[in-house]
Amino acid sequence: MTAAVTALTVLSEYRWPERPARELPVLPGYVLSSFSPLVAAAAEGCLAGYYADEQAAAAPRDRTAVLLVTAGNDAVSAEHVHDKVAAGRRVGPLFFFQIAPNSVVGQLTARWGLGGPVVCISPVGDPLADGLAEAELLLADGDADEVLLICAEQAGTPEAGTPGAGAPEAGTPEQGEPVDRAHALLLSRGQMP
Amino acid sequence: MADRAPVAVSGLAVLSALGRGSEPQLAGALSGTAAFGPVRRFDVSGRRVGVAATLHQAGSLADELAEVVEQACRDAGLTAAERAATPLLLAVHGHPAAAADAARLAERAGLAGVHRVYIGACVSASTAVADAAVLIGRGADRVLVAAGYLVDPDQFALFDTGQALATDGAVRPFSAGRTGLLLGDGIAAVVLESASAARNRQPVAELVGWGRAGDAYHPCQPAPDGSGLARAVTSALRRAGIAPDELGYVNAHATGTVLSDAAEAAALRTALGTAADRVPVSSTKAVHGHALEASGLLELAVTVLALRAGKLPVNAGYLGPDPSCPLDVIAGSPRPVGSPYALSLNSAFGGANTALLVRAA
Repeated sequence: MTAAVTALTVLSEYRWPERPARELPVLPGYVLSSFSPLVAAAAEGCLAGYYADEQAAAAPRDRTAVLLVTAGNDAVSAEHVHDKVAAGRRVGPLFFFQIAPNSVVGQLTARWGLGGPVVCISPVGDPLADGLAEAELLLADGDADEVLLICAEQAGTPEAGTPGAGAPEAGTPEQGEPVDRAHALLLSRGQMP
Repeated sequence: MADRAPVAVSGLAVLSALGRGSEPQLAGALSGTAAFGPVRRFDVSGRRVGVAATLHQAGSLADELAEVVEQACRDAGLTAAERAATPLLLAVHGHPAAAADAARLAERAGLAGVHRVYIGACVSASTAVADAAVLIGRGADRVLVAAGYLVDPDQFALFDTGQALATDGAVRPFSAGRTGLLLGDGIAAVVLESASAARNRQPVAELVGWGRAGDAYHPCQPAPDGSGLARAVTSALRRAGIAPDELGYVNAHATGTVLSDAAEAAALRTALGTAADRVPVSSTKAVHGHALEASGLLELAVTVLALRAGKLPVNAGYLGPDPSCPLDVIAGSPRPVGSPYALSLNSAFGGANTALLVRAA
């Protein structure tokens, strides 16, 4: 289903998990947690097809913003670090950057050459609605011509079941399963009537 | 000519390890007296470094945020009715209860509720300020932006294991011999208003420009040429409608790390051109430390306070020039303000960059 958007144009859209289900691709440099691989996979799914088009691929991307919306953030990494610290043990150095949501955004902006603003927010309402509102604000502000919006939640968080995180529609076999979910949309300004 | 109407900074409140309120921030920033010391808030015995800038007898983050927000509302002279029509934009470390915490903060302060919670590491607060300006430009009367970080054991352990912390107990932005950053407490709140909403108040400053851009370079390293930050600065100057040589001060992001400071210097050379030879620069992280998600608002507050005082903060900890940072660094003693315009810069993991441009009221 394509999100209902009025002030924005959806250039490309992708949801994780795919059907049929497959394992999240490994993201080199990121360990233990599925959060960063999930965000990277969502970006890949949304952008690979879109940029396969020659005209889209040739367009400048230095004004493409990335907006990550997540309530749970990387809960697995955060819990791992907290437990290690509480036990007085050393934390692995990879977690230094992995635990910041910006980190995987930097990975995907480098991968895709996206040089617009980088924004990470925690939703206060419906994640997709918050994300679309923030994307519209970024486009209106003028530092971005496109926004890659990614809503992502890890399995086991209450937020993973929310619509904005890419939850399946009612009645599908996947409903209620504890799986990582993400929803990515490449957005531009809406067409004037 | 500016392409946006200025936004009034009508109220401001701030806290750091330098103390509670504006006076200790200004005194520390102008004298270059750093607030770093041994961490006693939690056990650091297993860490490589055991130093940070922590406020003595700090309360919980929720309580300290509530107090600072209250002070900012009072500083602006907001009535209860005005508070009830003012949304909150909050910048904090991301965690599952962040939105619920923000809602409680808004309720305690009598605000209209939470508009947005920003969790984008070291550009969280500055992003919130930019968004607030856009909201006001699109018709909002008033927005309250708050941000908070108190040095905590988990983030401290992460920065320690990442070997990002200074090993000599000092933050030395842009300096030869710099060894890294040190964390610091920071809580700040500002009331931002449209010119019409602020017509019966005396603003402390105006936000006249802002810009945001990404490096598209690396998950945790800045682009060496500072390209993203340079575009953010250029965007802020364009919105303000001023030329680089009209700038009177840059409060730099400079954390005291080797790569990041050099990249920021390159960004300023690119964005300001030859004016970079003459625009005074300092990073007040050298006295209050790096307040992560709150750093953008803490440093904006210090910048505004310095403009109002007519003196520019010292770049504390400076041992001497580093050829990779060819800037006019304010070493030794504060300088007089030479122009009402000042930039506050921030960068974060993921190549995120922001520039906020203020003018003394």
